Amino acid sequence: MRTTARVTVPIVLVLSISLFLQGHNLPGGGFIGGVLTTAALVLIYVAYDLDYLESGVLGQEVESGTSIFEHRTVLAYRRTLLLGLVVVFGSGIAGFFVGDPFLTQTYVHLEGVPIYHEVELASALVFDLGVFLVVVGSLLTIVSVVSAE
Amino acid sequence: MAPDLTVVTTAVAVPFVAAVLTPLLYRVLGERTGYAGAVVAAASFGLLATQVGSHGTVRIPWIPALDVGLQFTIDGWGLLFALLASGIGVLVFVYSARYMHGESGLARYYAALLAFMGSILGVALASDLVFIFVFWELTSLSSFVLIGHYTEDAESRYSARMAMIVTVGGGLCLLAGLLVLAVAARGALGGVTFDLAAMLANDEAMRASLRESGLFVPALALVVTAAAAKSAQVPLHFWLPNAMVAPTPVSAFLHSATMVKVGVYFLGRVRPLLMSPEWVLLVATLGLVTMTVGALLAVASTDTKELLAYSTASHLGLMVAGFGFDIVYGGEAGTFHLLNHALFKAPLFLVAGIVAHEAGSRNLEHLGGLWRELPMTAAITGVAALSMAGIPPFNGFYSKELLFEATYEVAREAGGLAWLYPAVATVASVFTVVYSVKFLAMFVGERRAPIADIHRPPLALVGPPAVLAAVAAVVSVAPQLAVDAIVQGAVEATATGEAHLEVGLPTHFSPPVGMSAVAIVGGLATYPFTERVAAGIGRGIDAPVPVRPSGWYDWIVSTATAASARFGPLVHNGLLRTYVFWVAAAGSLLALAGFAATTGVPEMDAVGVPLAVTIVLAVAVLAGLAVATASSHVAGVLTLAILGFMIAIFFILASAPDLALTQLVVETLVLLLFLLVLQRLPSFYADVRPLVLARDAVLSILVGAMAFASVLLTAPGPDADPSSVAEFYTEQAVPGGGGSNVVNVILVDFRAFDTLGELLVVTVAAIAILVLVTMRIRGEEAVTEGEEEPVPDGGDSP
Repeated sequence: MRTTARVTVPIVLVLSISLFLQGHNLPGGGFIGGVLTTAALVLIYVAYDLDYLESGVLGQEVESGTSIFEHRTVLAYRRTLLLGLVVVFGSGIAGFFVGDPFLTQTYVHLEGVPIYHEVELASALVFDLGVFLVVVGSLLTIVSVVSAE
Repeated sequence: MAPDLTVVTTAVAVPFVAAVLTPLLYRVLGERTGYAGAVVAAASFGLLATQVGSHGTVRIPWIPALDVGLQFTIDGWGLLFALLASGIGVLVFVYSARYMHGESGLARYYAALLAFMGSILGVALASDLVFIFVFWELTSLSSFVLIGHYTEDAESRYSARMAMIVTVGGGLCLLAGLLVLAVAARGALGGVTFDLAAMLANDEAMRASLRESGLFVPALALVVTAAAAKSAQVPLHFWLPNAMVAPTPVSAFLHSATMVKVGVYFLGRVRPLLMSPEWVLLVATLGLVTMTVGALLAVASTDTKELLAYSTASHLGLMVAGFGFDIVYGGEAGTFHLLNHALFKAPLFLVAGIVAHEAGSRNLEHLGGLWRELPMTAAITGVAALSMAGIPPFNGFYSKELLFEATYEVAREAGGLAWLYPAVATVASVFTVVYSVKFLAMFVGERRAPIADIHRPPLALVGPPAVLAAVAAVVSVAPQLAVDAIVQGAVEATATGEAHLEVGLPTHFSPPVGMSAVAIVGGLATYPFTERVAAGIGRGIDAPVPVRPSGWYDWIVSTATAASARFGPLVHNGLLRTYVFWVAAAGSLLALAGFAATTGVPEMDAVGVPLAVTIVLAVAVLAGLAVATASSHVAGVLTLAILGFMIAIFFILASAPDLALTQLVVETLVLLLFLLVLQRLPSFYADVRPLVLARDAVLSILVGAMAFASVLLTAPGPDADPSSVAEFYTEQAVPGGGGSNVVNVILVDFRAFDTLGELLVVTVAAIAILVLVTMRIRGEEAVTEGEEEPVPDGGDSP
């Protein structure tokens, strides 16, 4: 299980990010990317435990004995959820400053960028990033809190 | 002169704005908020007074597709009612500031009173059916708050609830009636509209359309029921005396001058629209019966406010009866009495409040000879009570005389049973004289019970009723003055044809004058025997036959309460599977019933399904069966996964890659989660009971059938053209959203607001689960603590 996780998790994470980024033009998007990322992290959780992300990946000390609600990883998940909401609302409100209604989206084509030659930047991507963060944050919060029961 | 939109809108909006600001004002002004309220009422009154003489409609569009808008129609009838409400409002606020001295909850009291006044102005001036309904219900809501002002008092809460149930129930009838009118207007006026002014302008076509669709009598019955509930007509009159638990200023304002007149007002408003033989029979009879019953009950009352409440019901009956008759006199009686009744009943309530305040009693048997201590109050009562009795030359006489003329003329034309109309009206008036004298009697004669000391009421208490009595006196002396100022306009607005109102003291004998004479002489002659009459009426009330509508009300409410107390635990027994059963079963049945009622069975084309789709779906069905019969959890989870992946393949075959991707990812996540909890699940639950199994099977089939029917009936066929919305999205995705993945562009751009809502749902779900887990842990802690010492509040565990 752990061996499988070691091999698959990085691939899944890269795949989820690419799904997220290409979402505007090809199948994918914030929601799918978010759920896939969640799946990757849950896989780590099943194979190792909740603290592995901190101790094994980031190499930090883990305080033990705190309740699940004060657990650092869970707090991070909750902050991700909050950040996602902020991004979503922020991207919605940003339109106000240029005189557009709430949640108006626009896009620009950037040309002459190295390697890609032409890149399309859509403001909707920011909104989608918010979606991604909310999905990841909320699902992981639910999973970790419930499984700690 | 055309009305000014800004002025009218401001006049209606100012009380609402003030109501919202009242809590802040109360912090600054304290008990003087009442005077601020008086200023607000005076502002509305002043703004509306500038519109006197104007006639027309102003409108702010709201939902153009349904032709709904904030529309005000200014005419004499609406202005008369609105000016009465705001004018008496000024006096009531001044009176309240003094009367409610030292009470608690004043911020709420003044806020509700202001909101109430705004709603009345709205009802009086709005001519869009949707807004009429909204303002109508707002009056019920704010009066609920006002009647239940003493929240600690059980009787107060009971009465507030009763008034709420009766008047809001009537409001629902109004809603149905207004919708019927709107349906008829579609035929009559060509197009969807809620514009009452337009309906009144085309009343012939409206009546024809209603008759044609067979909706005339239902519309009439619904509107009259709504008005009867609001205006306390028999048999829905019982809430009005109960509402007297409210503070006296509220009784004076709501239950004499404004709220109870809303029903009468609306009857006057739709009178030209619905006038017909059925209308006369229903409305005139209802009004005269209420007039008599109210008068009898008032004679039997011993409490000052109760007497006035029943008398209010009786006088409302007089107005309703007036509007019921299809002749000019009837409408004149209704409109003019609306003004006169407000002018004499509001001061009488305020006087009752002064007496209760200064003499400390509301019992008529204990009160007598108060004129020595309260001379000013006694003079006010003299004018108002004689007006109430209809004694010439006081103002109540003129409008009552108009009703007598109406009944007499109708009876002379129709003959036969119609002679009951004048007879009943005269009998009711006899008792009106009796209870008016009974009320007045507490000021004259000798003291009946020793009351320690009666102090002089302050000016803020005597002033408002004195102003009203003075206006009543002016109208008494020069009635034509009031008619020319505003009543004539009101008469025209409610009349079915030409009408010109002229009033004055009779100069020669006529049968209606004779009826008045009989009423006055009969009343004065009956007065000495009041106690025996009251005892007789009391025996009638106490009789075992079910003549007490409040008894029915109690029965209905208690039965409904008991039934829901039994039904609740059945549906809501704390087991999640029970909830699922009820929700799924009820939802599926409703959906299926809806389809069965509206659409037929479409043709099915099973042959056209591609082979690949058939195979995939067949595997999915097999997997579904395997899940249900799986022997172990592992097998169940794996077969469930097969089902999920098959559906994902189906999505791919149906060219929906985004859906398929989502389905795959979610399926993977669910599988992982199952792995997480698999070893914790109990391996054995219980022996399967056949009955439960059958119930679950039936439920599953039901839900499946519902989903099948919904997709079959609502989704367009594979060959159908895409809808215009779909076409718009497909065409606009690249130029408008800058992305070629239409699904994603819809999610993040075109319908981003929906996505935002969904994100909030996800967040709420996460928070809810956090809270549940927290509460569960706390609940367990409380239980462990509870083993040492009993914790009273440990019941918050899920």
